[in-house]
Amino acid sequence: MVKRQEIVRLGDLIKIELKNPGKYVKQVEQIIDYFESLDKLEISSDKMLAQELTLDKLREDKYIPYDEKLVDKLKHTKENFVKAPKMI
Amino acid sequence: MSLGISATQYHQQVRNESISVEEYVARTLERIQKVEKKVHAFISVNENALSQAKQIDKKLKAKEKVGSCLGMPVSIKDNICTKRMKTTCASKMLEDFVAPYDATVVSRLKSQDVIIIGKTNLDEFAMGATTEFSYFGATRNPWNTDYVPGGSSGGSGVSVSALECLASLGSDTGGSVRSPASFCSVVGLKPTYGMVSRYGLVSFANSIEQIGPLARTVEDVAFILNIISGHDPHDNTTLDNGKPDYTKDLDAGISGKKIGIISEMIGDGIDKDVAAVTNRAVSKLQRLGAECIPISIDSAVHSVAAYYTIASAEASSNLARYDNIRYGYNFDLEGYEFNAYISKARGSFGPEVTRRMLLGAFVLSAGYYGKYYLKAQKVRSLIKSQLDAAFKKVDLLVAPTMPILPFKIGEKIDDPLTLYLLDINTIIANLAGIPAISVPYELAHGLPIGIQFFANAMQEKMLLQAAYALHKTTNLPEVPL
Repeated sequence: MVKRQEIVRLGDLIKIELKNPGKYVKQVEQIIDYFESLDKLEISSDKMLAQELTLDKLREDKYIPYDEKLVDKLKHTKENFVKAPKMI
Repeated sequence: MSLGISATQYHQQVRNESISVEEYVARTLERIQKVEKKVHAFISVNENALSQAKQIDKKLKAKEKVGSCLGMPVSIKDNICTKRMKTTCASKMLEDFVAPYDATVVSRLKSQDVIIIGKTNLDEFAMGATTEFSYFGATRNPWNTDYVPGGSSGGSGVSVSALECLASLGSDTGGSVRSPASFCSVVGLKPTYGMVSRYGLVSFANSIEQIGPLARTVEDVAFILNIISGHDPHDNTTLDNGKPDYTKDLDAGISGKKIGIISEMIGDGIDKDVAAVTNRAVSKLQRLGAECIPISIDSAVHSVAAYYTIASAEASSNLARYDNIRYGYNFDLEGYEFNAYISKARGSFGPEVTRRMLLGAFVLSAGYYGKYYLKAQKVRSLIKSQLDAAFKKVDLLVAPTMPILPFKIGEKIDDPLTLYLLDINTIIANLAGIPAISVPYELAHGLPIGIQFFANAMQEKMLLQAAYALHKTTNLPEVPL
């Protein structure tokens, strides 16, 4: 059973102010109940899909110049810096 | 001049000068203006489309080299970055965001002289199956505007179906290209994972999503795939496909091919009209010379739970970057402490995005990781193994694209689990990374029904040939709009 308290805590973790946490309690619970079928599954194999990538396959790490000043595209700037709220 | 032509017919008509690019683009813009109030397929329309069309006509007249698209108008889902055009992801969070670069798929299309006619509506950050979860309002199905068009690439499906462009690019994370293709009666392809670069696609669930084309014919989809597929140094998950011509030998037919009918996708829970149409499509495939046999992929019944566990986990991580500081909407910083500001700003995410992030955080949290996420990854591997085994017995798999007919807008919006279950027939392709295509086949009660083919990884050529063979046998009416 998913509790209101848990939804509020999850909201804190994902950094979203939930205006109405109660709205999500029943829905999340219903979906998690459906996910329970996974827990009941007996799967003997530990095989998991993965895509292997070696370092030589990585693209060259180089500076890509843009024809526009990217700082100008930011919402909150001061001189050449990104402006953020105060950390108290 | 008819707008209801295929891209191939458009190319022929431009080449033999029976139409000009400017004429076609001007008519397309008129059409957009006329039908948008009814369907709302676009978030933004390219104001420079007509001048770009004139430029291409000029080059054609001067016998200068022009790319293979010859100025054909194409729409792009609004989660694919386009330079100097907004890319909103249908979210308040990115309502004014203009990407500083083009996605690889966009730059490849532009290099072939495509005209991007506009950016299409979607469920916010591509999370949804109906295109109702857009910050800019729902998109409507052109076959009946009271009904949903499928999603999340609903705007892309509608723009092609409603004759507002010749083709579109969508993204398919759990069926988001194939669902609107089926509900709007167009062709939609989800390529093999890695076949098409995701560079410039706003990330939602990186390990499963792919960009795919939607168009009126299989040939047009193959034409677009020729341009957008292949290795991209900006996306290390891309594959070298050897650049085959997917339009070549499309009419090879399916005689002698062995096709498996996925038992789990035509049984319980399938609408009776959808089941009947699927049976008729299978009979047609048999008449075309294919051998059709039932085949079981029993792990598919767990695919929805596995998919939503993995996709939500990846989404909660990917969307953590939207803090409204580096980019975002107008919301003043003053008077807020750092964390309070971010939480308040992120409170503007819509209900589905919020729900998915809550789910993602839940399944990844201590004590639940092994119970859900790890199990989901094992189910994913099991699905892949069962599909590998199936493709040893058959060349292709077939199933209805969607288990039900399009339904009314608002009908299921408050029932997320029911909406998730709509993806039951499309998800396995994403989890296993294989290609799948939806082909319009029939109408029931005036609403479209699509048939879906799956092929093994990198077998797009065979997949397109089968889709072409089936599509050729159909004679569907014009969209009633």
